[in-house]
Amino acid sequence: MSFFISGDSLKTTYETISAGLFKPDNMKIQVLFGLFLLFPFFSQAQECNLTITGHVRDMGTNIPLEFATVFLEETGQGTLSDSTGLFKLENICEGEYHFYLTHIACDPKQIYFKISKDTVIDLYLNHHFELLDEVVVHASRDENSTQESNSVSRENITSESNKNLSDILEQVAGVSVLKSGTGISKPVVHGMYGNRVAIVNNGIQQAGQQWGNDHAPEIDPFVADHLSVVKGAGALAYGGNSLGSVVLVETKPIDEDPHLHGEANYVFQSNGLGNTLNLKVEEKADWASWRISGTYKLIGDHKAPEYFLTNTGKREANIALQLEKNFSNKWSSELYYSLFNTDIGILRGSHVGNLTDLEDALSRDVPFFTQDDFSYNIEAPRQEVSHHLLKLSTKYLIDDSKVLSFKYGGQLNQRKEFDVRRSERSDIPALSLDQHMHFIEGQFSASLWQDVFLKTGLQFNFTDNTNNPETGILPLIPDYRAFQTSAFAIAQKEMDRLLLELGGRYDLKQLNAVTITQSQPHSIERYNLVFHNYSFSGGVKFKVAPQFTTNLNLGYMLRAPEVNELFSFGLHQGVSGIEEGNRMLQAERSTKILWSNDLKVKDKLFLQALGYYQQVNDYIYLQPQSEYRLTIRGAFPVFLYEQTDAEIFGADFMAKYIPVESLDFLVRYAIIRGKDLTNDLYLINMPSDNIFGQAVYSWKGGDLLWNLRFGVNGKYVFEQKNIQPEQDFVLPPDAYFLLGATVGAHFKLKNDSLLKLSIKGENLLNSSYRDYLNRFRYFADEPGINVSFNANYTF
Amino acid sequence: MQTINKYILLAGVVAISIFASCEKDDPEIPHEEEVITTLTYTLTPVSGGDVVTMTFQDLDGDGGNDPVITGGTLAANTAYVGELNLLNETETPAHDIGAEVKEEDEEHQFFYQVAGGLNLSVTYADVDADGNPVGLSTTLSSGDASQGQLTIILRHQPDKGAAGVSTGDVTNAGGETDIEVTFDVEII
Repeated sequence: MSFFISGDSLKTTYETISAGLFKPDNMKIQVLFGLFLLFPFFSQAQECNLTITGHVRDMGTNIPLEFATVFLEETGQGTLSDSTGLFKLENICEGEYHFYLTHIACDPKQIYFKISKDTVIDLYLNHHFELLDEVVVHASRDENSTQESNSVSRENITSESNKNLSDILEQVAGVSVLKSGTGISKPVVHGMYGNRVAIVNNGIQQAGQQWGNDHAPEIDPFVADHLSVVKGAGALAYGGNSLGSVVLVETKPIDEDPHLHGEANYVFQSNGLGNTLNLKVEEKADWASWRISGTYKLIGDHKAPEYFLTNTGKREANIALQLEKNFSNKWSSELYYSLFNTDIGILRGSHVGNLTDLEDALSRDVPFFTQDDFSYNIEAPRQEVSHHLLKLSTKYLIDDSKVLSFKYGGQLNQRKEFDVRRSERSDIPALSLDQHMHFIEGQFSASLWQDVFLKTGLQFNFTDNTNNPETGILPLIPDYRAFQTSAFAIAQKEMDRLLLELGGRYDLKQLNAVTITQSQPHSIERYNLVFHNYSFSGGVKFKVAPQFTTNLNLGYMLRAPEVNELFSFGLHQGVSGIEEGNRMLQAERSTKILWSNDLKVKDKLFLQALGYYQQVNDYIYLQPQSEYRLTIRGAFPVFLYEQTDAEIFGADFMAKYIPVESLDFLVRYAIIRGKDLTNDLYLINMPSDNIFGQAVYSWKGGDLLWNLRFGVNGKYVFEQKNIQPEQDFVLPPDAYFLLGATVGAHFKLKNDSLLKLSIKGENLLNSSYRDYLNRFRYFADEPGINVSFNANYTF
Repeated sequence: MQTINKYILLAGVVAISIFASCEKDDPEIPHEEEVITTLTYTLTPVSGGDVVTMTFQDLDGDGGNDPVITGGTLAANTAYVGELNLLNETETPAHDIGAEVKEEDEEHQFFYQVAGGLNLSVTYADVDADGNPVGLSTTLSSGDASQGQLTIILRHQPDKGAAGVSTGDVTNAGGETDIEVTFDVEII
């Protein structure tokens, strides 16, 4: 039996100590604690003998919901609904209340009521129609281990809102980050990145130039209620090209509350003298529910322990608007628009002209062009990216067990990259791309006979990518149009202790590319390519005992080559190599098996072990060619996209120990290996083994100040030894250890508003180190010590 | 349900308007004004004799055909005046990149490296506004008969103040390489 504490449970006064990663597990203790907090109120000479009773029901089906939690935010009183959905709250004073409702597999919801007499109310919750993985993400927040390993909560997102989406995702087990300096990062899930990991923002697959290792996802993490990684069959419902894992960025439905609520969040970071400001307001007005959020970031040059990382500043300005309207109990619609804008500086000393320059850079302790002073200036090389997302979705409940939904997503991605060029051409982008993407989806979910849950959908996706000729440089990837038509179906059956899941997906992909030939005079060539992608996935979750759950997933997936793998042509500045696409590439075929085990011992010890093995036939990779190509800038190595058979396997372990309520310990360990079977080599860019440990002491505190906590953490990253020296320009960097610490507290202010303050230290020993997954390890050390201060005001 | 039908209709209209133009239009070919296709090093003997011309020409850029490289034969124990000429021959008429470099001469410097036992010394014959060498103009003096290689390097944004840079040593120069070409040279 499990209960559900939402990521927003911090709104409630009794929130149990959270170390950022830990969410309380035993609801009963919390309820008791909540009631305990009430004692001061009883002493007041007010009429506090009212009773609120009612039922909690599913909005679509009217079915009563058992074990839903009902809390009064103002008093901290809470209760659970019984098997008929009935709940009862006693000893309530006259007044205005915000009810906070949660239930497993439902979106949490806040509802506002005025109570002046004994009241009977029925409360409705919107049921999630979700699959195994997604349920893990949303519902099992009480099952500590699974939740922590799969998602990042709102509190962790806001306290780190100065970071990139990918850097925040690193908290999820099995996720690493591929970086290009300090400002650009991409998630790596179980060794897969770039084209092989789909990122889904608000139900729409992120478009843009995701193929580039130095192209970060254009998403403001602050808009998200939670971030999660779906690794099993659930991934089939999302865009076509992932090889097994999907990163979800999800917002929360707007609360049913006629009052204006919101939060202001500010983060200052000492390294880079960075300022990040976030604002969010929302209200359920008569015409619709609305939410607006905005983010502004201004970060200057970062500093490695020994020197400034010149030109590593960043500016970012984002805005998002969300509108929700329930036209009836059965029909609801949502409109979402977001705009992301960023200007990212790239370490000046990383810009090299040829191999000699790269060798020079490798031999230097301090990068070229390092300035003695800090600056907020951003000059070439730099990237300017803006991304628009418009989403319209509507959901209709056909009857008690069937839901039909439609979704449209439109995206416009504009990317400009500026290089250091002659004759004031540094202000002319060296790469300038406009990408339009349109996505239409119809989805149908139903509970069929014998409790089989079915989710099926049809999707159509259109992408148009255009190079702007303003660059004066032949484009690295050609102009193209891509069409994708997809269908998927996933069935799930829940039995007593067993959950079975089976799904399939088909994508028809057409690519219409127009290339410019390299030879003089330039001419234009057209290519039309068609690919068929099939994917299948099956999963079993078995509760062996109340304390032990095991979960097995098996998938077979195809991934068609992407436009860069087929057609790219040009000089890759960062690695001083000429990269050439290969029009003969076939789809990658991957088989992945994933087995995870969760053990819970007396609510004190939580263990999770997850192992996976993935074989990818025709794995697409960049193979260095034996020839060098002579140009006027010297000789360059040539890299050609080729295919091989590869295997990737690894394991994630996690242990959490809570000896007493105020203390918890966490240890995470991840290990991964990737091999090129045909050439008997290791795969490049595989995360190093790493271990993370954390200890948190917390104090619940009193009425005004509570949730005081102190934490220390350490991370040890092993040297990547699984690579041959000839596979890279330089040996992988040494192992390193980073020490961190956090201090935080919550303060209750007037009008039920809440102030959360925290201070976080990173790399406290100011260690000089380089990381294997940062492509800029050739040029500079990672940033040194950083102390950040976070203030969050919620009203 | 009627509203749902409207949405289906709307989706259909969007899809059709997208499909209406399936083929991507021809891209506009970018105007590659920045490319350096040709380097010519013209050596004129100070006291008369045959002019020596060394060229590196790569008309189709980084890919395609290999560059055409023509080395030179110098007379022994002779002083030469050297002039570098850089062109972008993808344009008609050819664009003078050398003039671009001259305009930004504080941000550019050429380096001349002699290797393989070639008896040749190259010295700068021009300076930028700060009095630092540039290397578009040089003077050369050949020694006894020998053969080897001459490498010409152009660095963009070098540190002209770093040790040895003003005398033509590239080691501490930094910056980015815009040109690095090597000629076979014989002195007879």
